[in-house]
Order: sequence, then C-alpha cells, then structure tokens
Amino acid sequence: MRESANNLYDTLAPTDPAVEAASREFIDRMFEFCRLLKGAGLNVTPGRIIDVFKALGFIHLERREEFRLALRANLAGSREEEETFDRYFRAFWDQEVGAARAQVPTELEANPEDPGKEYPETPPDTAGSPRQYSRDEVLRDKSLVAIWPGQSLDLATILREMSRRLATRPSRRRVPSRRGHRVDLRRSLRKNIRYGAEILQIARTRRKIRKTRLALLFDVSGSMDTHGGFLLQLMLGLQKGFKNSRTAVFSTCVTEITRALRRHSLERTLSEVATMARHWSGGTDIGAALGRFNRELLRAGSASSTVGIIVSDGYDQGDPAVIRKEMQAVRRRTRTIVWINPLLGTEGYAPITQGMKAALPYVDYFLPAHDFPSLRALCKVLGEV
Amino acid sequence: MPKDLNDEQVAKRTFESVEAVQETFARQNYIADRPLALTVMLAAQLNKPILLEGEAGVGKTEVAKVVARALNTELVRLQCYEGLDAQSTIYEWNYAKQILAIRMAEAGKHEAALEQTIFSEEFLLPRPLLRAIRHHSGGPATLLIDEVDRADEEFEAFLLEVLSDFQVTVPELGTFVATQPPFVVLTSNRTRELNDALKRRCLYLWIDYPPPSKEREIVVRKVPGISDQLAQQICDLMSTLRKIDFYKRPGVAETLDWARALMGLKVSRVEPTMLEETAGCLLKYKDDIERLNSIGGARLLSGDIPEN
Repeated sequence: MRESANNLYDTLAPTDPAVEAASREFIDRMFEFCRLLKGAGLNVTPGRIIDVFKALGFIHLERREEFRLALRANLAGSREEEETFDRYFRAFWDQEVGAARAQVPTELEANPEDPGKEYPETPPDTAGSPRQYSRDEVLRDKSLVAIWPGQSLDLATILREMSRRLATRPSRRRVPSRRGHRVDLRRSLRKNIRYGAEILQIARTRRKIRKTRLALLFDVSGSMDTHGGFLLQLMLGLQKGFKNSRTAVFSTCVTEITRALRRHSLERTLSEVATMARHWSGGTDIGAALGRFNRELLRAGSASSTVGIIVSDGYDQGDPAVIRKEMQAVRRRTRTIVWINPLLGTEGYAPITQGMKAALPYVDYFLPAHDFPSLRALCKVLGEV
Repeated sequence: MPKDLNDEQVAKRTFESVEAVQETFARQNYIADRPLALTVMLAAQLNKPILLEGEAGVGKTEVAKVVARALNTELVRLQCYEGLDAQSTIYEWNYAKQILAIRMAEAGKHEAALEQTIFSEEFLLPRPLLRAIRHHSGGPATLLIDEVDRADEEFEAFLLEVLSDFQVTVPELGTFVATQPPFVVLTSNRTRELNDALKRRCLYLWIDYPPPSKEREIVVRKVPGISDQLAQQICDLMSTLRKIDFYKRPGVAETLDWARALMGLKVSRVEPTMLEETAGCLLKYKDDIERLNSIGGARLLSGDIPEN
C-alpha cells in the first residue's frame, strides 16, 4: 500500500492543482486514513482515492463537514460503511495523531492468529464472554475433523452438486431456443429478410434457467459452539456457490456477513466475521433474529425464488410467541423454509425446546447436517425444493 | 438559465457549490440537506453517477426529477425490474414499420439495399439508455435508473459498462458515444446488495427519513394552505410512527398523502379516531394497521412509543 501510495502521488501531483496545493504531509495523512478504511473493510481502490483528491478541489477544505462528506461519498458504499466511515473519521481526524493511532484498530487485518489478541472493536461487556473466535480454534475444532474423515471428500464437491441441483428454476429472462414458445420478432425478421420478409423461419425464445436465491441465517450462539467450524465452512461454501444469496449470523443480535464472505479469502473472512459478529457465542434470541432476517434479508419482491435456510439448534432465550409470528412472516417471503438442526443427528434428540417447538410448524424441511451423509440428504432436498 | 452558457458547463455551473445546489433545489420545492447537496455538487463536478439508497418514500426518485428541472433538460427514466435485459434498454426496431417497408419495396430492391434501409435510424426506436446518450440539445440529459436492485446482476454488469464509457452499440448502426455525459442518478431500495464494482463507480449516499423539523418544511411547501400547527402535529406523529417496528414504515410520500387527505377532510387537528380511520394513508400492510390500532391513536398522538 505504501508503494502504491507513492505511485499514486506521482500520478496525481503534476496534474491536479488541488493536490499540488496541499502539503505532502496532508497527503500522507490522507493515504494513511484510506489505508485505515481499507483495513476496516471498505472497498478503497486507487481509482476511488484519486476521485477523493479530485473532490477536494471543489469543496471548502477548512469546513470539516464538507471534508467529511466529500470523502464519505467517494469511499463508502452502504449505510453500514457510512457508519464505519464516520466512526473512523472521528477517531482519525478529530484527535491528536498519536491518540488516533492508539485508538483506531489498524492491526485489524494484519494478525488474526495472535492468540492473546483481543479485537479492538469488541465492546468491554463481551470481553469476559466464553470465547473469542480465532483461526486457531477453527482449526482445532473437533466437529470439523469429525466431519471429513481422511479429507477425501471436500465440501466443495458437495456444494457443487447442490448448486447444480438448485439451478433449475425458470427465469424471466429469455434466451434463443429452437424449442421455445415465444416468438422472437427481432431475430425472426432478421432471418427472413432474405426471403423478402416472407416469414418462413420463426426464431423463438425460451425462459432462461436460473438459480434459486438463498437467504441463510446462522445461529452462532454459545450452544452452537461445537459446530462452529462446520458452520463456517457451510456458510462460505453456500455463499460462494450461490452468487445470489445473502448470509447473516445471529445470537443476541444479527449481523449480515454477505459482503465479507463474498470478498475475501477464508482466513481474512474468519477474522472479519469475528470482528463484525461481536456477539459470537453469546446468548440466543431467535425471534428477534428472525425479525431482522425478515426485514433485511427477505425484503420485497422475490418470495417465489427465495429459499430460506435457518441453521440453529433452537435453544432460545426469547419469547416463543415472537418466533411464531416471525416464522409466519418468513413463510410469506420465501418459497421454502429449510431448518437445519445439527442436534438432530444426535441419538435421543427430540425437538422439544420451546423455541424449536414454536418454529417447527412453519418449517418445510427439518434436517440434520452434522456429518457427511446428512449433508448429502440436505443436498437432495435442496434439489427438490 | 443564461443562454450563453456552454452546454457542457451547465451542470457544473448550476451545481457549483453546496449552497447553489440547496438554493436550486429549494426553488423546485425540494429541501436538500447538506450531505445531499454536496453529493449532487460533486457528481456534477466529477461527472460521477450518484447512488441513492434508502427506505421507500424518502424522496430518492424525486432528486433526479429536481435535477432535470434545475438543468432544464429531459429526464430519461429507466425503471428496473426482474428480467430486464440490456438490449431492451438501448433500442428496439419498429417491426411493423419494417415489414411495411419490405412489402412496399416488394421484389424491386436487392436484399442488401433493403436491409440497409430497414435497419436505419428511421426504423429505430431508442430506449432510455440510448436516448440519454444521444441527447444533445441544451445541457446533459438526466438519467434516472430507478430501483436498480430489482434488476438482476447480469444487468448490473452491463450498466457498469455503460456508466464507465457512456457509449452503447447498436450492431446494425454502430456505436453511439455521448457528446455530453448524462447526469446519472441510481436509486435502490436495498432489497439486495449491489455489486461492489457498480458502487465504486458511484458517489454513495444513504437517505434517511427527514427529522421532524425538515419534514414540516416539506409538508408546508408541498401542501398549500396547511396550518403550521397541523403540519407540526403530523410530522411529530410520523417520527413517532417510524420508531415502531412496522414491516413497512411510512415514508415522506405517505406523510404528504396523509396531510392532503386531512386537508381534504378539513381537519385542523388530528384526533385519535381520525388517525385510526385514515391509517390506510400511512400503512399499507394489514398487520401494520392492526398493530397501529392495537396501540391506539391516543397513545401515538401523545408521542408515547410502545416497546417493540
């Protein structure tokens, strides 16, 4: 980044008067700030940085508010990113340089393995909670080892099969096809010009096949801890396999992690998810989580193409009435609801917890997914839904 | 607007500062806060599209309309929907006219010559993107790409291409390049996350519900003849309602509908029963209306927010 900063400086400097006017020191600070935002997960690219500098030429630099907004319009890409930006902006520009450095988590992406390290964004109240997520723990996780004996079959194979099975829903888009039903006027005319527009050959279209959209809600509360490694793999795999899907994790509150999953490598994602999902391994409030799931991931319009997948053991500290109400809403917004309960594979397990009992009537498929055969079964079901 | 302005400079001059944007918007009865005004200013200066996200009914689409009026140019609107494909947003051939032309030409013409005739501009029906790009009189066109989250990702990828080069191709006719890039506003209700690459291309702004003071100003401007008291009462109530976890929270559009409805009913002060009877202006889901009724109009009007 340092190197690219210098390159950028060289490309910018001769052309832009705004940049020339600014002091080198200020420019360094800007780059430092951009680096920081990049570390925080914002999509900061050289192109965007150049635009930031260009924008500075049109504002009153001495007005802090304009400065902030001009930077933000260029660097943030969602409401959450706007909030992240504002937080970092305050920490970085409103204080002494030294103090800002100490407070802002610059090491965020650098060192996820450091075992003693607490993520700087973790609020104090969860500091004493059972565990923080770290890569070591994933690797050590027993259930993960148990799932893939001998590592002969990897999740990727199964997920490939899953996506193939799911790719069967007709889309509204149309593609040329000899056996289609609808006439394609544009192509027909083209084809028949040679016959003096006597329509001899008719070009047709059929509906394109398209993938189902998945909405995934993963329980990462304390009671699900032992399944953590498996969960992560499943999340990553499904997200990568289904471009159209959205993923959220919950325990006491809900965090959407779609973008994190989409953008980075496994390792990077793990550390990012751990930071974003601060509530990881806390208590559970399924009802409230379903509410957010409804309002944010299942919003409007695509009920007929959406399959909702909820992964949870059903241990809940909330009100079962809320779960019932929200499950009804989920039903209205999805084509099918699949509930994956890792406990279901355990001998002697019955879904008698309050939360599970409340949700069960609304679930289309209630499945285990604790080992390889059960995942196979899941895959088969997904092919049918 | 002065006539001697260089066309290309119209947008840059009209939106030369935050204050200028705010004034221009205010003349169109749109109250722009500073973040919005600054984003519009930067979009004009940097020639970048604006991506506006926010709940339905906070006035995202209106921004494009106001920009078009302020620049005194055509507003080209592209409403996105699932299955929208690239080609139908650029052009279509006028088939009926083509067939007619072929019939009239009968066998007199060569195939190649005929083809050239019927695939010429005369038979072309330009669709929004081509219209925005070919626009050349006055200032730049204002291109509104509405609810882009409804289109699918394939379309987004195509849009990305158009927004970076401002050129589109009609295979039979060649490539059209914009002489002056249109002022582009994209809106999204955020039913899904948009592609990062598309976001990167744009200036981003999340538009929230306006605070009561600003909303009151909007109501007073948009609903002529309304008393300050009634406007104040309406906006306080809206802010209370929006704190409740409805499935679909009422937007500014609903506020205005309701204000107009109340004016029509010649109401000078909202009473609890009146609120319950006219709830249909504000809430559009049965569950939400039931929720409002169960809380009760009196409680809401007193500003008491129930626990969710």
